[in-house]
Amino acid sequence: MTEEDFTARHYGPRASAYVASAVHAQGADLDEVAALLAGRGFGRVLDLGCGGGHVSYRAAPHAGEVVAADVTPPMLDEVAREAARRNLPNITTANAAAEALPFPDADFDAVLSRFSAHHWRDFATGLRQARRVAKPGALAVFIDTTAPAAPVLDTHLQTMELLRDASHVRNYSVAEWAAELSRAGFALRGFTARRLPLDFASWTARTSTALEFRAAIRALQTGAPEAVRAHFAVAADGSFTIDTASFVAEAV
Amino acid sequence: MDNENTSPPLDPRLLEILVCPLTRGPLTYDREHNELISAKAGLAYPIRNGIPIMLVEEARPLAP
Repeated sequence: MTEEDFTARHYGPRASAYVASAVHAQGADLDEVAALLAGRGFGRVLDLGCGGGHVSYRAAPHAGEVVAADVTPPMLDEVAREAARRNLPNITTANAAAEALPFPDADFDAVLSRFSAHHWRDFATGLRQARRVAKPGALAVFIDTTAPAAPVLDTHLQTMELLRDASHVRNYSVAEWAAELSRAGFALRGFTARRLPLDFASWTARTSTALEFRAAIRALQTGAPEAVRAHFAVAADGSFTIDTASFVAEAV
Repeated sequence: MDNENTSPPLDPRLLEILVCPLTRGPLTYDREHNELISAKAGLAYPIRNGIPIMLVEEARPLAP
């Protein structure tokens, strides 16, 4: 099984949970995306790793056309259905891997990607592909959960993420993001760090985390150093708060 | 997938955009088999539920 297959099989059966998820459907980061697109008259916009399609739904009213691309076909079935339900006929869907995008060079006026890059098997290649399909001067907005700079926090986060979801690859730090964006040919124009509270029950339900892994996450949290518990604001029920960031960049 | 012939057709807007992810060369739409053909790569990409599956490992190698 390839790694794309692995992610696709992992997320396929739970696609509708991502359309319905409040964590994914709402947020100041989505408002920011809509504000960045409004009034710009963009023609073609790519939602890279669209998941439940929430970036596409917000982008569609401000773009000629939105291509929602994801490695998981059942996600795309849900997105196509939801786009029709919301009367957004300018959303089309394509099954694609971030590392090998099926689009020509310099094709998109804006490339958007939210909560996807931590699943890519090759982060640098994915970003280079995003740059390749973006027109020079195109807007790029990358939003993802990020790893804290402190190694102890980073290690605890990646461990919780992997126990919860075997298709997790890696959360990158803000510094790693900035460096890779620059290497890929994006000039960073803006950056906003946010905090996202995650409810343990729904967080593990979305990925159908096995009970023994849920217990392992709870044990990890309980035994974690106080600095770790404080950073992630770990609550009694395992709910915690994760760091996220929006990187607003320009294809150069 | 045994129902590819009865799957909804490809959105014509996508046909204008998509290229082969391997060669980045053009694709032609085979309506009969509901596949996107990359002549350069010798691959046929399936269309399932109207969604083009643009993954090399899912593509059907074409007979030489």
